[in-house]
Amino acid sequence: MKAIICISVLFFATLALAAEDYCYKDVVEACKTTTKKSVTALNCTAKYGAIDNLQSKLQRYVNHHFIRSFEYLLMATHFANYEKNREGFEKLFRGFSDNKWHEAIELIKYITKRGGEMNFNELSEGIRDEDKEEQDFELLELSSVAKALDIEKKLALEAFQIHEDASRKMNGFHDPEVSSHIEHEFVHKQRDIVRKLAGYTTDLSELLNGPDASLSLYLFDEYLQKQ
Amino acid sequence: MKLICVAILFVSAIGLTSAELQCSQKELKIPKGWIDMVNPCVESMRNQIEEELKASMRYMAMGAYFSQDTINRPGFAEMFFKSASEEREHAIKLIHYLLMRGELTNNVSKLIKRNLIPSTTSWANGVSALKDALELETSVTKKIRKVIQKCEDNEKFNDYHLVDYLTGEFLEEQYKGQREIAGQISTLEKLMEKHGALGEWLFDKKLQGAE
Ligand SMILES: [Fe+2]
Repeated sequence: MKAIICISVLFFATLALAAEDYCYKDVVEACKTTTKKSVTALNCTAKYGAIDNLQSKLQRYVNHHFIRSFEYLLMATHFANYEKNREGFEKLFRGFSDNKWHEAIELIKYITKRGGEMNFNELSEGIRDEDKEEQDFELLELSSVAKALDIEKKLALEAFQIHEDASRKMNGFHDPEVSSHIEHEFVHKQRDIVRKLAGYTTDLSELLNGPDASLSLYLFDEYLQKQ
Repeated sequence: MKLICVAILFVSAIGLTSAELQCSQKELKIPKGWIDMVNPCVESMRNQIEEELKASMRYMAMGAYFSQDTINRPGFAEMFFKSASEEREHAIKLIHYLLMRGELTNNVSKLIKRNLIPSTTSWANGVSALKDALELETSVTKKIRKVIQKCEDNEKFNDYHLVDYLTGEFLEEQYKGQREIAGQISTLEKLMEKHGALGEWLFDKKLQGAE
């Protein structure tokens, strides 16, 4: 019995050791032989932890940011036409569009930092389903803020999902580096955006319930311009 | 019985309207004579917005490719990510121009396709990506020239101002950009003639310092 345990411990120990030494062994091999071994054939990637299993959700998250960035750009465009003429609302949504864009680029860089690659085709079923309905981004003031709030909550929950995957102690998924990155780069920022938008809907729905909705919207837009 | 039903409906309708927020405002009567852009000029400008964004996503794919650890060309990656954001800025400039001329008051929701997936996502090396970039810019230049033609050769309306804007701002940037990429291809190809790997590595380090 003892011997079996001993042997199996030794066996796993050598396995672990081998896993750590792939790159070095490959390099030794490559330097020895006369035939040139290409760099990509060496086991010397930046990959460790659970990036292989988490990668597709991160890729999706990038693509979802791009899609939302374009949607916010359309919302901003609508508020900037001469009939709407709401510079504050334009600024709000243009800012969101810019942020989603830059966050997407940073997330691509992050995936590659972990030894992964980008796939622009990865999309969630939920996002694909949205395509089936007619999309409207020419919205009234209050509706636009409501739409943005829904979008931001969806993105926040998606970050939770990636975090959940990365925090599962399941083999091949546990990756504290990924979950920590999601926390620092997404989760807290999203909390503030969601709170801000929820506050806007509170204000706007109260203001629009009063006697002069037009003046209220004008003043609210002025306020947004200064944010 | 029927009467009660009607009465209930009526009361509930009143209840609804009194709780309804005044979200929309009355129709405006703004003179429209100043809005003088005509088709197909407007249509071709609208299409160009998406073309710029497509170019943007193609650069994005290049940035992603050269960021990988197994490729490790951070200089190239940074340059292509920057180009991607610049192309997006071009799209926004076109949008702002149309807004300034009183356009984009309707059909904005379909202005951009939802996701513009880049078709090519890997390149043999830095030179081939740069060559791709040059071809991309050349095709964008051609498309802008087509927009100009549509806005100039129009019996109904020669759009002097837009033609001047596209020529002075957009074509100017296209030609300068193309010259820059062509120069980079030349330098890199010469560097790589005898020292492939070293040449590209050096060039990448140079790009990293170019910020
Ligand atoms: Fe461009």
